[in-house]
Amino acid sequence: MSGVATRMRSIPVWEITLFLALVSLGFLIAAQVRSETPRVRYTSQERAPLIETALGLQTQQNALQAQILDLRSRIASAEVATQGSSAIATQLNDALFQARLAAGLTALDGNGLVVQLEDALQVSQAAGNADLLVTGRDVRTTVEELWLAGAEAVAVNDERVVATTSIIDIGGSLLVNSAYVAPPYQVNAVGPADMYTQLAASASWVEFVTSRAGQNGIRIAIAQPSSLIIPAYAGSVSIRYAQPPASAAPSANP
Amino acid sequence: MRTRRSQIALAAVALVLGFLVVTQVRSQSGGTGLEDRSAQDLTLLVANLNTRNDQLRGEVADLGRQLDSIVAAQARGDTSAGQLRADLVHVRIWAGVDPAAGQGVRVMLRGPVTAVVIEDLVNELRNAGAEAIAVGGVRIVPATIAGGLPGSLSVENTPLSDPVEVDAIGSSATMTGTLTRAGGLVAQEMATNDGLAIEVTPVDQLAVPATTRDLVPRVAKPRL
Repeated sequence: MSGVATRMRSIPVWEITLFLALVSLGFLIAAQVRSETPRVRYTSQERAPLIETALGLQTQQNALQAQILDLRSRIASAEVATQGSSAIATQLNDALFQARLAAGLTALDGNGLVVQLEDALQVSQAAGNADLLVTGRDVRTTVEELWLAGAEAVAVNDERVVATTSIIDIGGSLLVNSAYVAPPYQVNAVGPADMYTQLAASASWVEFVTSRAGQNGIRIAIAQPSSLIIPAYAGSVSIRYAQPPASAAPSANP
Repeated sequence: MRTRRSQIALAAVALVLGFLVVTQVRSQSGGTGLEDRSAQDLTLLVANLNTRNDQLRGEVADLGRQLDSIVAAQARGDTSAGQLRADLVHVRIWAGVDPAAGQGVRVMLRGPVTAVVIEDLVNELRNAGAEAIAVGGVRIVPATIAGGLPGSLSVENTPLSDPVEVDAIGSSATMTGTLTRAGGLVAQEMATNDGLAIEVTPVDQLAVPATTRDLVPRVAKPRL
């Protein structure tokens, strides 16, 4: 016993330090390998400039969206400022405010419910198995279930869901309002306080969770923040083809 | 000499250790989500982002003109009621609060139509630029959902009978092309739903009604 202690004491300090450093190194290498994202990684050379271009376009998109929200806010302020004493202008402004609320052009604040969807952890072991990835249909189902639970506004990764919103798969990516959104997907909703109760009681939601989380392993997490902001829609509202029907007269009622 | 060699070894290990710690922290903090996409997927994504940015630039230009027009009316002392009315009509049609008419497509679904088929179709029409959609004569707005089993489908408590009629206002050429292209939605749905038949017809003039839903939130508060 005393022989072992003597032997231990004879080991130089630098060797012990090196040993500990190498143990840490091994741990970090293992952690790095395991932390590779579950979706398949590609290594081809042509991807780097494409990723750079996509990120640049995404940055431009964010700036354009901010510009749109700013211009809409300035227009709303200018319209209110011009109403003066005109009763018609006041009535039209009130109607316009209600119409913008209905259209999703105004941010909303309220009781929140957040559903987060993530790919299954085992995707890395079964690359290419689409059932283990969160798809556009999964996100659409979640959005629909939140509407059925009473949501008054919904957004996916801060893209407001409006009358023209499509949620589509492009390769392994998801486009919401034609904007690229990266996983994990957060579907946020504001509405009545019992939204979660309604969601949990929905047979179709339970079936979805059982199938996608229970059988396929996609990860679904739910949070209920007491206050949540759903941003205004920051995309194009231009219409080229839809017109009021010949018989319809413009109305000032919401 | 021995001490110096040990110091060099330690320094080398510390360097690798530092690099790995940084890499690990960066990977844990989440990437862009694009690292694992193929070149083909990225090309498609770039094309979509370009299209979307063009639309947004158009919107910025439109809004800029609208703001200039209001400011000019203010300078003249006008109430700009005409501008407000035009804006109101536009937003109400876009939101689904008012009925709409225009060119588009009529899609007839026959056979075992499911709620998922209708939802996929509406999603694809929106992706193809539909500006207003009605299913079985019911205007589709964000919270409108088709439900039920084949044969007893309904939307907003309105039963859908066979054939199910879906009307969409927008570019009839774009929507027809998107739906009917090889490998497109129509081909996919007909291949995966035995007995389902989908017919897409471009129409010069369609009309869709206003929604019957009250779209103004009752609980959530506007954040101005």
